[in-house]
Amino acid sequence: MPIWMELLVLMLVAYAAGLAIGWAMWGRGATRRDAND
Amino acid sequence: MVTSRTPFAPLALGALAVALMAAAGAQLTGPPLAARLAARAEQAIAAVGGAPVEARFTSANGWPSRHPTLAGGDTLGEGTRDRVAKAVAALPGVGGIRWADGRAFSQSAEAAVQPLHCQEDVEALLRARTLRFEEGSARIDAASGELVDEVARALRPCLGSIIAITGHTDASGPEVGNLELSRARADAVLQALVRRGIPADGLRARGVGSREPVDGLEATDPANRRIEFSVVATQPIRPTPVDLPGPR
Repeated sequence: MPIWMELLVLMLVAYAAGLAIGWAMWGRGATRRDAND
Repeated sequence: MVTSRTPFAPLALGALAVALMAAAGAQLTGPPLAARLAARAEQAIAAVGGAPVEARFTSANGWPSRHPTLAGGDTLGEGTRDRVAKAVAALPGVGGIRWADGRAFSQSAEAAVQPLHCQEDVEALLRARTLRFEEGSARIDAASGELVDEVARALRPCLGSIIAITGHTDASGPEVGNLELSRARADAVLQALVRRGIPADGLRARGVGSREPVDGLEATDPANRRIEFSVVATQPIRPTPVDLPGPR
């Protein structure tokens, strides 16, 4: 596997993990607040 | 009112930005990393005497890679190729290696032996008949003596290998007792094999009680009482000078 592909996979995984953590911390709460409005 | 929608466009843009960063990062760091690994690999190869072997740190498409292809050294013995492959694989940062001729690793320098057939022979023997013990005891039933003879004969081609003898019981009775009994029975088989000329240093006896029942059987089924043989490590037998055919 070329180095660029390893790096791409690693960085995309990190991006997805960051999105998931961010959504878990803030996104869910915001959706709930919107629903209550 | 529900206003939040999944922001596909920003997410996709983010992913694209990540991909661009990865490409740029790889462009910057890939070639020097591959060159550094190649230099280290060259030293490691020279250190184990495999000088004609070349480690190419490129993928099939020519991209820099951490997974080298080893080429050359066709004239080297299998032992040296094996050492070269292991030396390169042990370098920090190097991923899996393969030889240009398609093998994952060089074959071992040891003579190719297939000792497992004796395990199959023993299993075939024990499939048809069972090693019986006296009730609640580790004494091998007198009628099973002949079977032990045959097992010893079947194990003879595997001499030099480590042969594990595992005793199993069913789940009736307390597990502590079962464990002790299975161990004692495995030990009794070991002793019986030693008496029949199988060297004790190649035999290992252990008991697992009723922990590992036969697939598809209830743990309490008496058919779980058994002795299993397995070849756990192989050491090819090197012929002694006496065995070698020579001029008379």
